[in-house]
Amino acid sequence: MKIKMLIIILISILIFGISLVIGPRIINPFDMDDISREILFFIRAPRAVVAVLMGMALGASGAVLQGILRNPLADPYILGISSGASLSAALAILGGLTFLGTFTVPVFAFTGAVITGGIVGMMGWKKGGLWPERLLLAGVGLSFLFSGLLMLIMSISTDEGLRKAMLWIFGDLSMSEWSRIPYGMAFVTAGTVISVARAKALNALILGDEFTHSLGFSPRKERSVLFVSVGLMTAASVSLGGMIGFIGLLVPHIMRFFIGSDSKLLLPASALGGGALLCIADLISRSILPPMELPAGIITAIIGSPYFLYLLRRKNVLSI
Amino acid sequence: MIKIISLFLLFTIHCSLFTVSYAGEAPKRIISLAPNMTEILFALGLDDNIVGVTSFCDYPEEAKKKQKIGGMSNPSLEAVVSLKPDIVVMTIDGNPKEFEERLRSLKIKTYVFRSKRISELSQGIRDMGTALGVKERADLLAREIETTINKISRGVLQYAPASVKNPSPFAPYPSPEKKILFIIWPEPLIVAGPGSITDDAITIIGGRNIAAKSKSAYPKYSIEEILTQAPDIIFIGRGMGMEKVSQGLLKKLKSVPAIKNKRVFYVSDYLYRLGPRTVKGIEELAGYMEQ
Repeated sequence: MKIKMLIIILISILIFGISLVIGPRIINPFDMDDISREILFFIRAPRAVVAVLMGMALGASGAVLQGILRNPLADPYILGISSGASLSAALAILGGLTFLGTFTVPVFAFTGAVITGGIVGMMGWKKGGLWPERLLLAGVGLSFLFSGLLMLIMSISTDEGLRKAMLWIFGDLSMSEWSRIPYGMAFVTAGTVISVARAKALNALILGDEFTHSLGFSPRKERSVLFVSVGLMTAASVSLGGMIGFIGLLVPHIMRFFIGSDSKLLLPASALGGGALLCIADLISRSILPPMELPAGIITAIIGSPYFLYLLRRKNVLSI
Repeated sequence: MIKIISLFLLFTIHCSLFTVSYAGEAPKRIISLAPNMTEILFALGLDDNIVGVTSFCDYPEEAKKKQKIGGMSNPSLEAVVSLKPDIVVMTIDGNPKEFEERLRSLKIKTYVFRSKRISELSQGIRDMGTALGVKERADLLAREIETTINKISRGVLQYAPASVKNPSPFAPYPSPEKKILFIIWPEPLIVAGPGSITDDAITIIGGRNIAAKSKSAYPKYSIEEILTQAPDIIFIGRGMGMEKVSQGLLKKLKSVPAIKNKRVFYVSDYLYRLGPRTVKGIEELAGYMEQ
């Protein structure tokens, strides 16, 4: 297992490196002119870092949520966090709000995500703890409400505004810059570290509350801690670059095929796998039709899903 | 998500062949289904005949006071019918074709404005004027537009580099034309590409649109490509707090000649609509070329 983990780490680093060098223009890192240097350090590097951070947040959150909700279909977006973030970001974009400069939309998205996470948490709270089924249903219900409101404001906005908002919602990494990264990194790192630290408890939660209790963990407390860390990670991810589908749902499953269901390995592997997949998807999205760019979220699904289906046919084991 | 995507598709897929169906005497009650149609109708002096406009029709000022019939891609059939129009004026690329078919099935006359490019504008206005019984005024407006555009494209030569004006066999290289980028929206970056009115305007003022090789009229553009292509002038559409929103993008582009030489200009939205004000937009861009 250690070797498999090492392979995943190496592949992720390799993909990160490749995504810095390849693009509409191929950059030789040992022989750069001024433009290449600028593109590498100020356009591609922050972009690749954002891709890795977002992918990590989504991959790890997905693995955690599938565990605490005991549902293989759970992903960070099922809790409505993304639709809350999208609604809030669309309001900022279509309303032409700019009082925070280039930070306006990310801050709106983050706030929307956190508020939504808070509401879902409140709805899922009963008798001093969070209940998986309640969380899930509250999330789905809230998702529908926010998607409806989002469609409402989109259908009364101009076509031009609609396109801007659509592109944001589909995921846009092109505006990544160093100044936004520390905030995102803080939340994603904290969330990943907390989740990995609670991996043992998560393993127990998957097997049931009574079992968790017998191992000396408080299921309610553990679930709450994990839920909050996942909520913050997802919020940070959405605010960095919009919604990216597929990763949160399927990367944990792909990683389970590789290294099994032990959360201690699965969480870091899902984080790395998510980061690497988004990195490569972004690489494709900006290189395939230059000088145009495609939204990275479309690419993750197009390259990720066939691979997932292939694994699904080949492997026998299926579990959370 | 599926719902959002289908809504998006619904909004974007509306280009296809339209048919013009109008003959007979001058209409008294006109409904406009697009902001540029409203502007042309006012310019043709049909102010009092306009009984309905879209909620996006904000120019001239009187247009805002007219009865609203909904948006461009989703006008309300009931609102249109209840205003009892003699004719409904719409555009080929901004309104849904199905809406036109519905109107005709209800025996409501329609006129479809087919011009999409600046070169087709004056003829479009003439055709429309003929259909609406204001042929002379339309001819006047069309000629005014043609004269201004001709003047601008002739004027281009006055400030063009000497080598372009008098090509000399001794000149080492012909001076290249100015490389221009027109930014519609900075985040995510959308620029004016081939086939857009803005692209036409850039050609008329003697510039070269660096985004001309994109696949769509309003592509999501690569920042890396802008750095590589190094535009000499950057135009940014004004409005919606654009000065603030564009700061992040301009910081990323700080090494391109346009920014180094302070040749970034915020311009009005005249070029977003193909109508009487389009020429003002071209004049505005041309003004910055001369500096």
